[in-house]
Amino acid sequence: MSRPRKNHACKVGAYFDSTGEGSRVLIDIEHVFVELGGQPVLQDITFTLNDRMFLGVIGPNGAGKTTLLRVILGLVKPTSGTVCVMGMEPDELKGELHHIGYVPQSVLFDPIFPVSVYDVVMMGRICCIGRFRFAKKSDKQAVMDSIRMVGLEGLEQRLIGELSGGQQKRAFLARALCRETRILLLDEPTSGLDIPAQRQFMDLLTDLKERLGLSVVFVSHDVNVLAQHADEMVCINRSMHLHGKPGDVVGSERLQEAYRCEFDFLVGPGAHHPGIEGGH
Amino acid sequence: MLSYSFGQTALIGGLLIAITCALMSFFIVVRRLAFAGMGISHAAFGGVAIGIAAGVNPIVTAAGFCVLVAGGIGWFSRKGKLHEDTIIGILFSASMALGIVLIAAAHAYNQDLLSYLFGSILAVAWTDVLILAILTLLAVAFMLLFFKELLFFAFDEETATASGVPVRFVYYGLLVTIALTIVVSIKLVGIILVSALIVIPGATGLQLSRNYRRVIVFSILSAVISVVVGLQLSFSFNVASGATIVLVMFALFLIAVGISPRRSYMEALLSKRAKAKAQGSEVSQGEGSTLGPVDRAQPIETSLTVGDVETRVDD
Repeated sequence: MSRPRKNHACKVGAYFDSTGEGSRVLIDIEHVFVELGGQPVLQDITFTLNDRMFLGVIGPNGAGKTTLLRVILGLVKPTSGTVCVMGMEPDELKGELHHIGYVPQSVLFDPIFPVSVYDVVMMGRICCIGRFRFAKKSDKQAVMDSIRMVGLEGLEQRLIGELSGGQQKRAFLARALCRETRILLLDEPTSGLDIPAQRQFMDLLTDLKERLGLSVVFVSHDVNVLAQHADEMVCINRSMHLHGKPGDVVGSERLQEAYRCEFDFLVGPGAHHPGIEGGH
Repeated sequence: MLSYSFGQTALIGGLLIAITCALMSFFIVVRRLAFAGMGISHAAFGGVAIGIAAGVNPIVTAAGFCVLVAGGIGWFSRKGKLHEDTIIGILFSASMALGIVLIAAAHAYNQDLLSYLFGSILAVAWTDVLILAILTLLAVAFMLLFFKELLFFAFDEETATASGVPVRFVYYGLLVTIALTIVVSIKLVGIILVSALIVIPGATGLQLSRNYRRVIVFSILSAVISVVVGLQLSFSFNVASGATIVLVMFALFLIAVGISPRRSYMEALLSKRAKAKAQGSEVSQGEGSTLGPVDRAQPIETSLTVGDVETRVDD
């Protein structure tokens, strides 16, 4: 497959005006190729994230999902193709980072790292506080609001390492939300959680998305988790395999092709997937 | 001890070292850079040897050499070419080997070299105190100005990068500050024991609190007490100052380990006091939020409860 050269720059412009209303397309990825260490990791990825959309990115382990998020965040430069986030290339986003919240796949911190839930969430305010400045009253208030939103009130002074896995994920979600977040990027936030904790997290996320008007990119290898909540799904395994409504994606043979396995457990008798019709 | 000029310079210099090392120690312990500190401090032997062999002030050459080694550790590990501990092991032993060869070639096995290795209460002059004061100021300024960036970087480097924290600057800045702190501490504590000063205070603080602010305060307190008591012991028993300081530091660490199981009780007491103080000045809900047009202060109605706390670290 030939690799198209970078064909156009992003449409530079203020995506969020003073009223908080923005343009429709928040993330525009066109024909993105990424190579790491000479190995192709992503090939010809194209999709858009519209305002207030919940986009699920699925794919098997090693499919390049995390790399895709890292490309959006500007942590990995694409070999070719165009990435526009809020009308800007990711490395131009410095002044707009407070609109992007990121929940990483795993934070390998020391369990005795001496920071409380409050301290961790306050880290999310770093781009609002500014350099060489201390947190103001408004920053402290924003942190407490976020902690309350994710249901961790009363635990704000607990050491982060003392929380359960599910609570830690919620603390990291609060950290991603305690800025002026419009785009929320989540990398396998439900991995390692048991089914009830996964359900709680997804319910919380869906409520927050609606209430705060967030646009969400949720990366997971678990089709089940995303099929129930996403507005649209993208299936990648280094290259794009599918893009569409959850019902179309889950029902497609190309999904099984991408995962190189069958999804009997997903679409078998008795499985219930709200919003998915004809998912067989 | 203070009636002697060397005692005064050693004490002032020692206190400056204690504050810098203790501040540094917090990040070294939480970012697990203890081996890097050890590697850089032992590499200082190569730098000191270059100075002795070339007839230049060994502290100056050690400073340059340690900054280079620190940069090398950072560059190799960030490029992913080698694991951090592997490159530290290589640079640390190669620098020591270089030092041994240079010292042998210069026939410089003498008392002066021993004072660099083990530290001496007599070795700190007023010019050293001045250099110490300047470097302490720089190191403390770096850590205070970039404290929240350093904390975020130490806790979660990837998200810090995604949040616009200049992690490369912070990482190299931390390594260079560690290198310079080590170099300025050599005269008093010695190359062999200097790494203790940048590890033990942080570890002691961590035994006494789980609040990073208090960890830092306890680190500084333990380092200051160790320097004062250690220097007095060094003076009284005519023993190398580095050894006495480190032994006092270790004793304080052991005491902290003994107190550690009662830490939660102590912290509860401190929190009660803090809460009592804060009463009346509590921030009212919804006031001054900068989170944008959406009302983010409203709690979300979900089935979540906070009753499912699992305590993994038992206080």
